[in-house]
Amino acid sequence: MQNIISGLNQAHEHVPGKKRKLIGDRGDFFLNRMQGETGVNISACYQCERCTNACPVSHFMDIKPHQAIRYVQLGWREDLLKSSTIWICLSCEMCTTYCPNEVDVAEIIHHLRNMAVHSSITPKEKSLAVFHQTFLEVLRKSGRINELRLMNAYYLKPDILHERIKNNILKEDLLLGMALLRKGRLKLFTPKFRAIKEIKKAYSQTRGEIV
Amino acid sequence: MRLSFYPGCSLEGMANDYARSIDTVFRDLGIDLVEIEDWSCCGATAAHSLSQTMSVVLPARNLAVAEKMGLDIVSPCAMCFNRLRFSQNMIRKKVFDIPWHVTGELRVHDMTRFMAEPSMIKSIKKRVLKPLNGLRVVCYYGCQMVRPPKITGYTDYENPQTLDRIIATTGAQVIDWSYKSTCCGASIGIARREIQESLTRRILQKAQQAGAEAIVVSCPLCQSNLDIIQKDRSDRCTPVFYFTELLRLSFMESGASKLFKMHFADPVSLLKAKRLL
Amino acid sequence: MESYLNSPVGKVIVVGGGIGGIQCALDLADTGFYVYLIEKSHTLGGTMARLDKTFPTNDCSTCMFSPKLVQVAGHANIEILTLSRILELNGGPGRFAARIEKQPRYINEEKCISCGKCAEKCPQKVPDPFNGELGIRKAAFLTFPQAVPLKYALDAENCIYLNNGKCGICKKICPAQAVEFDQKSEILQIDAGAVVISTGFVPALTVKEGEFGYGRYRNVVTSLQYERMLSATGPYGGHLRRPSDEKVPRKIAWIQCAMSRDPARNRPFCSSVCCMHAAKQAVLTRSHEPDTEATIFFIDIRAHGKGFDDYIERARSRHGVRYRRSMISQVYLNPENDNLIIETFDHHLNCKKEEEYDLVVLSSGFKPSDDFIDLTKQFGLVTNPYGFLTTEFDEPVTTSRPGIFVCGGIESPKDIPETVIQAGAAAAEASILISSARNSEIIVEKISDEMPVDKTPRVGVLVCHCGTNIAGVVDIQKVLEYVKKLPNVSYATDFMFTCSTETQQAIVELIKEQNLNRIVVAACSPNTHEPLFQDTLREAGLNPYLFEMASIRDQCSWVHGNDPEKATEKSKELIRASVSRAVQLEPLYEKSYPVVNEGLVIGGGVAGMTAALTIADQGFHVHLVEKNDRLGGFAGNIKFTLEGNSPSRLIRYLIERVTHHPKISVYLKSRLISHAGHLGAFHGTVQKKGEPINIQYGAVIAATGGRPYEPDEYLYGQDERILTQIEFAKRLMEDPLWTRRLKRIVMIQCVGSREPDFLYCSRVCCAAAVKNSIKLKEMNPGAQIVVLYRDLRTFGFKELYYLKARQKGVLFFRYVPEEKPKVYDENGQLIVDFTDRSSHENFRVEPDLIVLSSGIRPDEGAKQIARLLKLPTTDEGFFLEAHVKLKPVEFATSGIFLAGSAHSPRFVEEAVTMAKSAGQQAMKVICQEEMTTSAAVAEVQPDECAACLVCVKICPYGAPFINEEGVSQIPPSACMGCGICASECPAKAIALKHCTDDQLLAKIDALLESALEIEN
Repeated sequence: MQNIISGLNQAHEHVPGKKRKLIGDRGDFFLNRMQGETGVNISACYQCERCTNACPVSHFMDIKPHQAIRYVQLGWREDLLKSSTIWICLSCEMCTTYCPNEVDVAEIIHHLRNMAVHSSITPKEKSLAVFHQTFLEVLRKSGRINELRLMNAYYLKPDILHERIKNNILKEDLLLGMALLRKGRLKLFTPKFRAIKEIKKAYSQTRGEIV
Repeated sequence: MRLSFYPGCSLEGMANDYARSIDTVFRDLGIDLVEIEDWSCCGATAAHSLSQTMSVVLPARNLAVAEKMGLDIVSPCAMCFNRLRFSQNMIRKKVFDIPWHVTGELRVHDMTRFMAEPSMIKSIKKRVLKPLNGLRVVCYYGCQMVRPPKITGYTDYENPQTLDRIIATTGAQVIDWSYKSTCCGASIGIARREIQESLTRRILQKAQQAGAEAIVVSCPLCQSNLDIIQKDRSDRCTPVFYFTELLRLSFMESGASKLFKMHFADPVSLLKAKRLL
Repeated sequence: MESYLNSPVGKVIVVGGGIGGIQCALDLADTGFYVYLIEKSHTLGGTMARLDKTFPTNDCSTCMFSPKLVQVAGHANIEILTLSRILELNGGPGRFAARIEKQPRYINEEKCISCGKCAEKCPQKVPDPFNGELGIRKAAFLTFPQAVPLKYALDAENCIYLNNGKCGICKKICPAQAVEFDQKSEILQIDAGAVVISTGFVPALTVKEGEFGYGRYRNVVTSLQYERMLSATGPYGGHLRRPSDEKVPRKIAWIQCAMSRDPARNRPFCSSVCCMHAAKQAVLTRSHEPDTEATIFFIDIRAHGKGFDDYIERARSRHGVRYRRSMISQVYLNPENDNLIIETFDHHLNCKKEEEYDLVVLSSGFKPSDDFIDLTKQFGLVTNPYGFLTTEFDEPVTTSRPGIFVCGGIESPKDIPETVIQAGAAAAEASILISSARNSEIIVEKISDEMPVDKTPRVGVLVCHCGTNIAGVVDIQKVLEYVKKLPNVSYATDFMFTCSTETQQAIVELIKEQNLNRIVVAACSPNTHEPLFQDTLREAGLNPYLFEMASIRDQCSWVHGNDPEKATEKSKELIRASVSRAVQLEPLYEKSYPVVNEGLVIGGGVAGMTAALTIADQGFHVHLVEKNDRLGGFAGNIKFTLEGNSPSRLIRYLIERVTHHPKISVYLKSRLISHAGHLGAFHGTVQKKGEPINIQYGAVIAATGGRPYEPDEYLYGQDERILTQIEFAKRLMEDPLWTRRLKRIVMIQCVGSREPDFLYCSRVCCAAAVKNSIKLKEMNPGAQIVVLYRDLRTFGFKELYYLKARQKGVLFFRYVPEEKPKVYDENGQLIVDFTDRSSHENFRVEPDLIVLSSGIRPDEGAKQIARLLKLPTTDEGFFLEAHVKLKPVEFATSGIFLAGSAHSPRFVEEAVTMAKSAGQQAMKVICQEEMTTSAAVAEVQPDECAACLVCVKICPYGAPFINEEGVSQIPPSACMGCGICASECPAKAIALKHCTDDQLLAKIDALLESALEIEN
């Protein structure tokens, strides 16, 4: 018995049609930087594809996890930062757990996300990137996350509401919101915490501001 | 016994029922949970994704407060537990500046692991007034509690046992299955619901295939994903319990259906059929 | 320590009774040393005894192995100590003193007649560890039917009586009173001149690791358990069943590299053998159950041995085994049918797939057994971090403690032939060390004088019950009554176990009392028991060729269990036929001849020189013939190895020793131009600079070596920026400035190997690429190295260097043979275009150097030697050994041996090992004073011979020749007794003694007698 779990809909074009890419011209700079910053031995990978097999969402990614490792080795920074992969990743840590060579794949993907938000590249999965960003903003403002506030803030972000309307999911979202409210699963108000001040300070420091 | 308690944001909102059941269960067991004073969010995936420093600093603040209290931490939320452990790990490596005094030497327990200790199992067993006989459940652990093993300390990440042991103590029939720690889709549902739903639905289907009438979890996000997806289903729904909810139920002589009113997949009819309510 | 070596003890302790220990014990005992073979379990056999079949011939492992077991069990100079372990080892090389603890068996070995009644009646059932706990055995048990010693035992852990004093059924029913509940462990003190360790390996995967659901799901088994599942003596009687419901599995998946190549689990090395045994198991599965699908999930196929790639190719194309290059993360269970679910990612469809399998076999890696760790501590031996015994490059079987040698799986995971080779090498080292004590401790069997044979045949017939094996089906009394009436039968009787030690004494007395001159035993099979009874005849002073066996067990009671009446009739007929033949038997006499105590080695490379030294260091003369004007061979060009050793230094040392050794005559620029004679007494001519020199030798070692393949692909020879690995390594060492200037280089693997016209994997090239990559990265860290490979075959601990190379930033990309890399020059810039199969991208590199990993071919000189010595070769021109598994350094023709790359491509240290092993096999001949020929040989009647040459052409051993009288002659010492010539001779001029036409016709006539009676 063979079962396709999901993802058949977006089969991509295979090898023969692809353009030939030059490799070996970039040296080890990007690889060394990534290895240095993450402490992960990326070059140990032997391309067994265990990570891609383990990943629950590899079919939603344009660069598969094992390929991402290869891209880092080749120094293809822009391709990675532009990829959907870095945003689709669920941080479920399957790849890291099963890698026989102790390549912390999830950590590398997180680090690439980090790099991507600090670059001028528009994320491919904008809605996901914006969600993470909104999360941190809400956190900075209130110290804790209130789901209702988070969703409000998220929908108010440029393009998000528009996209939701366009994709016809806004209605569904609103219905879900109502249902959650009815069930008492959303908290309407958040008290202020002393924590906020400290968090704001720490947050500014991480952005290089002198406080 | 006194422990510092780090509830995490979800327990104030989406998982309010989890918080309440923890409260009761720990009171019943005679364990004093002292909420970390003025705790703040662990940063979750977002901090980890966007700022490595914040992913260490945010949990560190809570660790610092707990250290001041001098009490080991117990965390009911898988994500918070994972982030606290991660931060602790990085603090010990001393590669980040932490604005607070923190050594990272406190013990951070995930709540299920803490409750599955032999001594705890013993005291749970003593408290069970109404065994949940006949209730067939699978335990679902999700990702963050068990992986990566180097952070979480779960060497049996494929087949963790903590929830299984706890729930078995209540008298419920715990069914072994292979998808204990398969990802439910986590927070991707907010932006890409179809991805999350495809993963969540699969877990649900595998649980049903294993013969489970209900799923037991300890992670607020797993609970809401698995529960909400069943919101429009009236027939054959598979209730998703926090493990403390089942503990509380077994600690009570007679149940109360109002305890489960936050659930979408309504457990009342199942529990009634099993004469547990 | 020196003092010990002046007068060493001529005994050796071999620890471990697997194939390695057995081979080593035989190689020592056959060269004049007394051997203690110490085994911790109840029986010899080790891992090989658990295998069902072995590749590439898919022969039954037991059938191959049990003759070895019988040989070792019956060897006068091998003392087998089972259930034993060394507690303490003192002394030094030449004289070790060992304290040995022998655990109780609870059944007296001397008394036990192996009737099996104890196991039959024992009420205690336990999971059978021999069958990987899949089947059930009793607490009174025999590990497997061919166990050595073939004696039952009580399992102290599970025996009811030994644990709580109740039961005792076995003691009550044992017909030999062999059960002894009060046995205690004994302490033995033994001394020996040397020690060999061959404790083997065990599967590294245990339930504790729980990888891939092992121990959690019943239908997930290890490869060793699967061997038992396939085996006829296994838990399912040789029928393919799965554990959960004993249904026939229709889809089976193999997952490779479980606990191998896994640095995350501190197992960063490759276990070397799993790729091939998975292929074998898949092939066997497909032939057992053609409707069962076999899928192998793997990373790289490591088919680096002789003929391995060919086997994989056949598995794929002829047997339809599916190969999937994909590493599995987790195995899931379908609770509805106990099937297992494997999730993979499908690149073509870009989707995740789940596939269900009825059974999953995990190709577990191997590790030293836990009790071995104690042994190493006890002996003070150095191991590597994974517990294997480390050895030096130039002394590949010598441990860190002098006088202690090692072979087999405990040195590194390895297959059967490599173990057999290494066992021979370990025997050689021990033999060299204590060679002055040769023949000092051995037991020479006494042969009693034969009585003259009376012309009138007086046949004695002994009918065996074999417990209930025969008597349970055949009516022995009826048979006896019938037999007694047969003509020429003077006496007939029956025995419960004719083979038991007491019965042999009884037979000797019978022969004397009844004045019998022919003996027929009606029992099991001559294959296993003929030699035993022949010895008994000898003891009684009767010529051993006056013996005949009727197989009324294997060929009658076992196969006709459901029809006792007809089985009884058939037994009568079989015995009648045997009696008729026995009457025709005549005494035959084995002849002996003196042995030439000198050896000949052909080839002066690393293998040839090592082989010569192995013999010469034991005090025997060696002729070493080399066709070039200098010694050293190919290895002299290799400056450094992957592990950092220097073959060229080793070569210099060997040349030094060989040229100055008083016992070695070196013939440079010479060829062997003639060769004749037979085992132990060859003679030939060496042509040295045109001058013929006649030499005599008792044994020959062919070590003609290999040569590098000179590529004609990838622009080699047309562009100086394209080198072979050998040239590149040389340049690396000689020109550091050039090395530091290199920016980008591409290495291409499998150049001239694994091609349609040369199917071999050259074994060494992957390691060479890794070696040179690491070297270059060390000298010039900025250089970008791209290695294009098909399967990376850094087997064993070489895998650690593959990891090191990757960690240093060497990029490894995989290509497929259908889409080979394209190399071209574009305006002076070298370009390599290729498709990477892992990222599914088309890549281009612009290197400033291309290095080709060109393979190894057999040396041209091998052809001439093959013709002259009548040696078989493979299609590729490598010599073909006598048996790929158990006789890797021998040829079918006795007295000729094989070493080094002439056998197949090998690493330097492997060539050294093989040469030592071949040297030791040659020693078995050279150290003898005289040899006896078998009497059952072919003989030509000169009057009848028409000299048609049929026999000369057809003999597989090249024995017959046309003598001075112009007729065929077959020297008894060269004849192997196969009888092919006798059946082919058109003039019926050849008779095979002991199988003459008269004897066989008498047997056939007697068999047909009853049929004729009915017809009439």
